[in-house]
Amino acid sequence: MLLLLPLAIPVLGAGLILCFHNPRAATRAALGLGAVEIALLGVLVWQVHERGALHEGRYLRADGLSSLFLLVIAVVSALVLVYASGYLRHMGEGRFSSPRWFYALVFLFLFTMISVCVSANLGLLWIMMEGTTLASALLVGFYNTEGAVEAGWKYLIVCTVGIAFALFGTIVLYIAAVRAGMSPASALDWVSLMDAAPRAGFDPHLMRLAFVFVIVGYGTKIGFVPMHSWLPDAHAEAPTPISALLSAVLLTCAMYAVMRYDAIVSRAAGPLFSHSLLLSFGLASMIIAGLLILVQRNLKRLLAYSSIEHMGIIAIGLGLGGPLGLFGALLHTFNHAVAKSLLFFGAGNVRLNLNTLHVDSIRGLSRSMPQLSAALVIGALAIVGLPPFSLFVSEFGILSEAFAQAHYVVAILFLIMLSIVFGGFAFHFLGMLSGEPNRSPENARLVPSEYTTMACAALCLLVFGARIPHGFAVLLQEAMAVLK
Amino acid sequence: MGLIGIATAKILSSFSVFLFLTIILLAVARRISTSVLLFGLQSAVITADVIATAFQEKLPEVYVVGVLVFAIKVMVIPRALFVLTKRLKTVRDVQASTTPTQSVFIVAAIIYLSYAAVHSYAGAIHVSDDALAAAVSVILTGSFLMVSRKKALMQMLGLLVLENGIFLAALITTFGMPLVIEIGIFFDILMGLLLMGIFTFRISDTFEHLDVSKLRRLRG
Repeated sequence: MLLLLPLAIPVLGAGLILCFHNPRAATRAALGLGAVEIALLGVLVWQVHERGALHEGRYLRADGLSSLFLLVIAVVSALVLVYASGYLRHMGEGRFSSPRWFYALVFLFLFTMISVCVSANLGLLWIMMEGTTLASALLVGFYNTEGAVEAGWKYLIVCTVGIAFALFGTIVLYIAAVRAGMSPASALDWVSLMDAAPRAGFDPHLMRLAFVFVIVGYGTKIGFVPMHSWLPDAHAEAPTPISALLSAVLLTCAMYAVMRYDAIVSRAAGPLFSHSLLLSFGLASMIIAGLLILVQRNLKRLLAYSSIEHMGIIAIGLGLGGPLGLFGALLHTFNHAVAKSLLFFGAGNVRLNLNTLHVDSIRGLSRSMPQLSAALVIGALAIVGLPPFSLFVSEFGILSEAFAQAHYVVAILFLIMLSIVFGGFAFHFLGMLSGEPNRSPENARLVPSEYTTMACAALCLLVFGARIPHGFAVLLQEAMAVLK
Repeated sequence: MGLIGIATAKILSSFSVFLFLTIILLAVARRISTSVLLFGLQSAVITADVIATAFQEKLPEVYVVGVLVFAIKVMVIPRALFVLTKRLKTVRDVQASTTPTQSVFIVAAIIYLSYAAVHSYAGAIHVSDDALAAAVSVILTGSFLMVSRKKALMQMLGLLVLENGIFLAALITTFGMPLVIEIGIFFDILMGLLLMGIFTFRISDTFEHLDVSKLRRLRG
């Protein structure tokens, strides 16, 4: 029941919201349902901590790793729903593009992402992962402009093909499991696979083949270079709350799927193969995205490339493994989600008030919109990994693991790319903030829904940078225990 | 062995050849409607294979999958695509970036490559080379159609062909995935097609063409 309710509420909620034709009523309904949903997720996370892994039938299961990702989903969706209530105030009623459609699709999107995290079966995990693409494609193309339609089509096609490869990988894993004597009913069950992996005698060639297809497939959704082509377009053209959801939660959910496969393949065929693949994809993403950040002209595309870079950082943490590497990677998923939401919210306000996202044509923000500038500065300082913000802690963890394991090339490339990204962000953000304002904002002050969400995110970054709260540290330990 | 037994054995031994035939014909097809028809034929061959497998291995679940494949991939999807081509009133040509001759050579190379690639695996998992090579070459042909045809509808069709290949790979190696998972996958395909249909209408509304290669405003 604990597992079914958080899945039922978003689906029923999506249907309910569609009944409200008045935008204000739809917004209120969405906020109410969102509050219920987030409370339920909180209870679920708490119960997993108290009672250990929870089951519901053969297909649903939540353990420590699920609950960490459920927490990320809960935090980011809370921020996004509140922020969207103010952001959508200018939107009129159109075909498929009105607040009620927006919220209904957001709830379906949340449903698919929560299902990804509570799937016990790798087949169901795949189905729900494809579901995330389907639920969010219309949101990416929400504005129906030329750019939005193009980005939506690209997103749908590229991700569906990518996910098809992941299906092939899933099937190869299934073949290996069935050939090793597992019953067809349990051969896709994650727990059974983890139990059987060290001794069942899975064919290591098949396991490696499966992992290659899975990392390419789900890697397309994570945005690993060179499968990232959809990502900047989708992030830039989607409504800003959706950009935040895509970047902070969707990519993270795909990373979650890769973690599950990595654990099985490491057990069955040794960690060397899967970990070096993760390291190579991670470094490639970090380097290419880091360099592309320098030449971006659109604020949201800049942030999108930064997401690719951070997914690279997480992949490097996973690829290094070890206590600090894994710790850093898991902590970084949370930190990146919060920091990126803050930055996208800031970018959304820039767009609302100045009607442009073009970095070169924005000047003097610090004078014309001081509150917004403060949020952008905090977000930018946090995302480039400066202390006292929390991303510093997780990046430092991953870096120390790289040095501890004598992966000097990885460590040095990691440091070089962090400095280049720092330079890129400093260049773009100083340009936007300093100087004389060249456009007058429509509304220089932030509305309550905007400053509360931005302040919450900024506070969270600061608190986690100073000291990881005890409860969260326990959650991290439980998540790491699942993967060991 | 009765008549049905003989038919089953014939289907299982010869379906690869029919699949190779459908992908070569897909490579030379010049019209979208022909391609859709060929996709339907390919799905029919796969249906026959599913039913034959179910009969030979005596797996009742697989019959259900067979009925689903027939209903969705032979009946519903081709019809929906025909309706879509008519409603969108676009050019009927697939607008390939390779000539038919080149396409045939590429598909021939794909078939050859598939045989080379599956050779070491097929022995290890006790599956015939032909069947596994057919599945892999259908997957690769699907990808080839997606990158070489400019029409949005042909990209949808390439994706469907690709998915046919993946389905086939699961069928011949493990007699298919568990039924619940198969049904979920079919549901995803249907929803995906529905969304792509919505997007093709939006593309033709906003751009007044369906040539995906001209969608290139967003770069960098």
